[in-house]
Amino acid sequence: MKTSLKNILIAGPLFLAVFLFSACSDAPEINDSLLDGNVIFDPSLYAPEDYLVSAKYPNPSAEDLDKHILIASHGYSASTFEWQEFVDWSADADYRVSSLLLDGHGRSYEDFKASKWEDWRAAIIREFELLENLGYTKISFVGSSTSGALLLELMETGYFDKHVKPKNIFFVDPIVVPTAKLQTIVDIVGPMLVYLEVDQPAEEDKYWYRFRPYQTINELNEVIQKVRKGLEKGIVAPSGTFIKSFHSKFDPTASTTSTVLIYKGLRLSDGNKIAVQLMDSEIHVFTRLSLRPSVSALERSNQQDVFAQMAARLN
Amino acid sequence: MKNYFLFILLFYTGIVEAQQFNVGIRLQKTHQMYWENGVSAQYSFANFKPDRLFVGFDFVTSRLGTAFNSNALKQDSYIFSGSWHFFKKRQVHLVGRLNTGYLTTDLEADIFAQLPSSAFLLAPEFGLNYSPKQLPFSLNTGIGFYVNMLEESKTPGTFQPLYYHLTLYYKLFENKK
Repeated sequence: MKTSLKNILIAGPLFLAVFLFSACSDAPEINDSLLDGNVIFDPSLYAPEDYLVSAKYPNPSAEDLDKHILIASHGYSASTFEWQEFVDWSADADYRVSSLLLDGHGRSYEDFKASKWEDWRAAIIREFELLENLGYTKISFVGSSTSGALLLELMETGYFDKHVKPKNIFFVDPIVVPTAKLQTIVDIVGPMLVYLEVDQPAEEDKYWYRFRPYQTINELNEVIQKVRKGLEKGIVAPSGTFIKSFHSKFDPTASTTSTVLIYKGLRLSDGNKIAVQLMDSEIHVFTRLSLRPSVSALERSNQQDVFAQMAARLN
Repeated sequence: MKNYFLFILLFYTGIVEAQQFNVGIRLQKTHQMYWENGVSAQYSFANFKPDRLFVGFDFVTSRLGTAFNSNALKQDSYIFSGSWHFFKKRQVHLVGRLNTGYLTTDLEADIFAQLPSSAFLLAPEFGLNYSPKQLPFSLNTGIGFYVNMLEESKTPGTFQPLYYHLTLYYKLFENKK
């Protein structure tokens, strides 16, 4: 009995280790129909003037400078496609939308794998400072998912103390804690998994990375942990900035608890709490409906509601 | 009053029948999440697998951890456990343990009333127990994994799976026969 118990105690972990290592994946098989490959890139890389206000108006007139600019930034593994519906929706608006591509995104699997969260954040800072240096004073942000965390990180570190204060910061399904329970142990199991493959429709393969290297998930975990700890201590928003977080009630990617933590830990400069609106939705980044397999009237209504609320504060 | 005496009677009867009754403090960290600390008790029967089978109860809370004097969420876990000590004659035991219980999170504001704030707990755990015979203390450490029993978006985001704990027990009663 004792011998068999010892055998189990020794052989069990050995068997598990062999199983895990044999289950290791090498590099993913990437074909040319995927954003991960070396053929399809985010269109903003070819024509930045169609996406970035700083590129489209390098010498803005006084009339241009009087316009309100909304910097829209997407989430982890996504691309400028995520905010394209709002850009199209705003075609006739008085404000302008600068839809940026986070560094490391919209390129190739290898570019993504090599990127750090600081690289993702760099694209936000770059466009903001270009606009600031051009003379814009009315600048707002909308950040979905990971960009919510990146904007919180900028506030946590006091970045805006020496810059133009944003008029508004909107969060759409911001991530501070993940919904997927296994995401927090990727630093342990990641080297064995190498990457995670997301089962997404073929059309989405052109706009979202299908393969997510574990290194990038670790980067994501690092920035959201930093932000969570910052919120635990307390973060104060830039002077005069209005902040609102919109979150799906049952977000499958960025736990709705994220918005609870933001509500608790982030204060407006006057000491008041931020605004929050929970959406009757079970999709992540509910403002992006294009390419969804089916869209209900409620989901359309949620999107239009948020678009209208943001627009109202940009005019 | 009658119930009180009945409780006392059962309690002391239980102690007399105990092989071991330990109480202690528990320090717990969830991987990439909160510190949740609290109290722990475990009991071994004198007449059934003494010093091998333990039943226990733990209460851990972020109020005594990360949420102390911070904006972290206040969450409490009530955990019942059964554990089996291997190599009981040695000072260091290998411990296999199964935990079950309930976690509740205080989301505080009314606007969050509709969000998930609780979860049932089920966690297998492995660990070590160091119990020097000459001292009335034992040190227990373990690493466990909460099995998610609901759709992930229907549990609080602060409920994450991997945790480790360190528990220091005082042997309130030990039958040395």
